Amino acid sequence: MMRRLLLLFTLVTAAAGCDSPEGPPVVADNVVVTAPGAGMPMAAGYLEITNHSGTDIRITRVSSPAYAAVEMHETIVEDGIARMRAIPVLEIAAGETVTFERGGRHLMLMDPAGTPETITLNFYSDDVLLLTVSAEFTATMD
Amino acid sequence: MQARNVIAGLVLGTAVAAGFMLALRNAGEATAPAAPVAATILPAGNELPDFALLDQDGAAVDRTAFEGQWDVVFFGFTNCPDICPATMTVLGQAKRELEAQGADPLPRLVLVSVDPERDTPEAMARYIAYFGDGNLGLTGELEELSKLTDALGIFFQKAGTGDGPYGVDHSTVVLVIDPQARLKALFTAPHEVANFVHDLPLIMAGK
Repeated sequence: MMRRLLLLFTLVTAAAGCDSPEGPPVVADNVVVTAPGAGMPMAAGYLEITNHSGTDIRITRVSSPAYAAVEMHETIVEDGIARMRAIPVLEIAAGETVTFERGGRHLMLMDPAGTPETITLNFYSDDVLLLTVSAEFTATMD
Repeated sequence: MQARNVIAGLVLGTAVAAGFMLALRNAGEATAPAAPVAATILPAGNELPDFALLDQDGAAVDRTAFEGQWDVVFFGFTNCPDICPATMTVLGQAKRELEAQGADPLPRLVLVSVDPERDTPEAMARYIAYFGDGNLGLTGELEELSKLTDALGIFFQKAGTGDGPYGVDHSTVVLVIDPQARLKALFTAPHEVANFVHDLPLIMAGK
């Protein structure tokens, strides 16, 4: 409970600092999300998340209005075999950047709702919204 | 005076020898046969086994579908969000670059589903079209799929249980099948466009 309160306090503090010269507490860069449809029942999202909040954060859930479900996954290739595993909780230490990239950590976006031109991704720590990312889809995997 | 002549002779001799060695090296570089940089060649060319699967149009396919053209084959599934589309994208880009270079013949890209439970021919048709024209998608009964994967050393296993979404663990190797339906070469991951562009013409030329 104390940890949640501390996290909430930190996030509120950080959110209050959004307009400060220091910038937002959690930042996404290099966002790439493959376009829905076009033969793809699934799409993948890649990005970098940097934690500037001054305290460790935990991402426990990701959602998007454009998809029925979004999960954090990791592809692990060992001995020539690719295994994909869910990441239930992603911890990002204060000051650290976590990268989602092809062949590694990625967002798996399931069941697209229509064919939106942009996508919004919401990253939560339990019920606390940590980060909202809006991006255009990439037309192809290229 | 004599010593000066000896030194001059040594310098001249050294220069001639160096020039000769350089010429030899350049000649060697010019005539050295090109060799694959990433692919593993299988000189024996293991023949594909008999199997009965469906193509993306729902038509019955057996090993004779691999006769008559070079095929570049990957085993994956359409619900795979990361490594399967990434690999198929690499293969599609490599084929486009080979085509731009005027390569002849061009290989066909083949995706064999390791998730026949979800990958219907219709799903395969939509998926393989995403990576270019003329591709082949195979799916079908698990027993028939296993005939092919067992013979080619391809691993796949459903991951996760229950009724929810699941993944499939699978080999990442890319295989090259010759026009006599024999396994001639393989590429291990990580896959790079440049490696396929360099090696595929050599493999198809029998080098």
